[in-house]
Amino acid sequence: MKRTYRTLRVPIQALSFFFLLYLILQTAFPLETRIPVDLYLRLDPFIGLISLITQKELILRMLPAFGVLLLVIVLGNFFCGWFCPMGAAIDFFDRVLFREKKRTKNLDDQALRRGRYGVFAFALTAGLLGWQLMFLLDPISLVTRTLVIAVYPPVIYISNQLIPLIQKFLPQNPVILSTTPLPVFKVNLLIFLFFVVILSLGVIRRRFWCRYLCPLGTLFSLTSRLRLFRRSVSQDCIHCLKCVKDCPVGAIPQEEPETYRQQDCITCLRCTDCAPAAVSFGLKTPHWQAAQGPSLSRRYVVGSITFGLFSALAVKTNPLQTGSGRKNNRLIRPPGALPEEKFVAVCTGCGECLKVCPNNALQATFLEAGLAGFYTPRLVPRIGYCEEFCNFCGRVCPTEAILPLPVDEKRKIQMGVAHIDKTRCIAFEKDKVCLVCNEQCSYHAIIGDEKDDKKRPIIKEELCTGCGICENKCPVEGDSAIIVYTTGVQKKVTPENPPEAERS
Amino acid sequence: MGDSSNLKLTRRGFIKGAAVTLAAANALSSYSWFRPSQAFGATEPDLVIAEKGNPTQLLNAAMASIGGMGRFVKKGQRVVIKANIAWARTPEQACTNNPELLSRLIKMCYDAGAKRVAVWDHTCDNYQFCFSRSGLKKVTQDAGADIFSGHGRNVYKTVEIPKGKALKSAEVNKDILDADVLINFPIPKQHFATELTLGLKNMMGTVWDMELLHKIDLHQCIADINTLRKPDLVVVDAIRILTTNGPKGPGKTEDPNQVMVSTDVVAVDAYGTALFKNPKTGNPYKPAEIRFIKNAYDLKLGEINLSKVRVKKVQGA
Repeated sequence: MKRTYRTLRVPIQALSFFFLLYLILQTAFPLETRIPVDLYLRLDPFIGLISLITQKELILRMLPAFGVLLLVIVLGNFFCGWFCPMGAAIDFFDRVLFREKKRTKNLDDQALRRGRYGVFAFALTAGLLGWQLMFLLDPISLVTRTLVIAVYPPVIYISNQLIPLIQKFLPQNPVILSTTPLPVFKVNLLIFLFFVVILSLGVIRRRFWCRYLCPLGTLFSLTSRLRLFRRSVSQDCIHCLKCVKDCPVGAIPQEEPETYRQQDCITCLRCTDCAPAAVSFGLKTPHWQAAQGPSLSRRYVVGSITFGLFSALAVKTNPLQTGSGRKNNRLIRPPGALPEEKFVAVCTGCGECLKVCPNNALQATFLEAGLAGFYTPRLVPRIGYCEEFCNFCGRVCPTEAILPLPVDEKRKIQMGVAHIDKTRCIAFEKDKVCLVCNEQCSYHAIIGDEKDDKKRPIIKEELCTGCGICENKCPVEGDSAIIVYTTGVQKKVTPENPPEAERS
Repeated sequence: MGDSSNLKLTRRGFIKGAAVTLAAANALSSYSWFRPSQAFGATEPDLVIAEKGNPTQLLNAAMASIGGMGRFVKKGQRVVIKANIAWARTPEQACTNNPELLSRLIKMCYDAGAKRVAVWDHTCDNYQFCFSRSGLKKVTQDAGADIFSGHGRNVYKTVEIPKGKALKSAEVNKDILDADVLINFPIPKQHFATELTLGLKNMMGTVWDMELLHKIDLHQCIADINTLRKPDLVVVDAIRILTTNGPKGPGKTEDPNQVMVSTDVVAVDAYGTALFKNPKTGNPYKPAEIRFIKNAYDLKLGEINLSKVRVKKVQGA
């Protein structure tokens, strides 16, 4: 019986990973899946907890995360070993890349094992002060971000290269395959390298990331002290230490294989693969005291918190932080985004909105939003513009950093205002009729001067939403001759003739 | 127009047609302007305007008068319809084609024996939003045709434009260039940059870099693009037209409730100008006031002078 459970784990892990891939691919037009595409993020109690603290109100769509947390409290940490897509990826690469590697014996890793508690305390303190370092480390956000930013564009690139070749073998009519506009993200290399580093840590220990760094795993460790689903070892144990070697997270101490560190155990059931069949899992009375705690000294915890505190203050007083973000007038946030300071505190940088944006308009920031705003979305009109009838970014944001507005409300959000650079505009500088911006504008915010035979464009700022279609389509080479700047805070515009009401 | 000249033309046309039929059997089918069907057209009107009735009745009446769809579409041919689906607007806003009319047009092509019908446009807004909001994706697929968007650069090929005055080469949609039958299916709209958008302007959606044309000389480029592939049939969807805030709208609309069909894109555009009022003069536009029509006429793409065109008006219902 136990045997079958154990063998189910790897298929379930693979399934879980591919389900995440499927959901990410579904994070696109027309966005009509029954299951929310940000399901995994909604199941992440770390994000749930932090956003609860920073938003100061419960986000309804994050409720499932607390269900997971409750399950972990009762049953023990099952998430990391069975469902975590990051864990699946790490397990896979550990197996593929480092199988031959003679693992270091179960050395005393006490100092390392408390590392993640330090990271957790540090990130939490920094986070409460507005430096969202922890979201960069959250495994679900991290794996989603990596797949969207670093993996998806190369996949599209390759498929675009293959399409003309495939087309040769297909009848031209009626099968016509179109290449897809290539999604581009400036920070892709950085995110890819970070992921590679995490995977290559497996060379030192299996699941190095999970054991020593992962903040979500730490949260689960802290909460699974009272687990009911527990490991027990019978008298038949012959001290072969197979389970000690097998345990992917090193939760079984060499000296006493009958015990285990319940907070580190990820319930993968590998230790039940035991020749004398001495190890079993079952529902037992909970036991607060663990075999070996993480040996956190008061000094260590206070040190981590102080470090977090000071780092957050350093970030807050850094000119990159004080100077950009609110003062960067090219930092256009997605429609319905919270006010800047709150936005960077709530956005997890998961990349869902970057993926769903039909025009690749949303880009992950690097330093544009200051040190606190890494990988947060911003609208870059020269790459893509905000589609008039699209509200997808708000609909996929797991923490509601971008509010899920109905299309009609979203259309009235002013993200910024367009400005014409008269020294570069064709109509002003070359004295030609161009009017691409007027033709493209969805909101009648750019009109051509009727009195002027060159019909030079004039911007009606009160109608401009800053969607950036004019900047995007401007035929001037290089930088556009019409540029969108933010106005600081997003506000509502009232279109003169709302299209839907036009004919009624 | 005298009867004798008509007769003479018919005879000559018939002989020419017969000769070309033989030649066409050997030659590539893509040289559509040599197709024999042209020869039978001599007694048919050049431009038919259908009024009164629903879109289906209008198109039926108009096509019946110009010689039926069988005159243009032969059995087993691939038909490409260049529609106007450039914007993510609803059908009522008259920025995109009338869905019922498109549906009827596709069915007529199939009834005439078309192997496969494709509807193309290179949209300005995101194609998925254009296709779904305009309702044209649904009607096209329901009618059994394919709907394609020109968002992928691989569907274009770079071609020389030997007759072009401003534009010497461009990346143009391969499928549209190579189709057996090309139907240009515009919707007339007011257009701020070119005054109006009609059949000639609709062909701009066959080009990859549309913004570039604005930069060079929009009116001349529109005419130049039209020298590449003359449509076999132009069906103008003037059931509801956009008279302000064009081409994207939304703006004021009018309901002329007309469908015009023609083999001559310049003639049908010249006729279509009268649907709109010139804000400067207050009178309906004259064909020569729209520069791209004048430029197309100068390139000998068709007849701008409506008195030299056989115009026929029919009733749909």
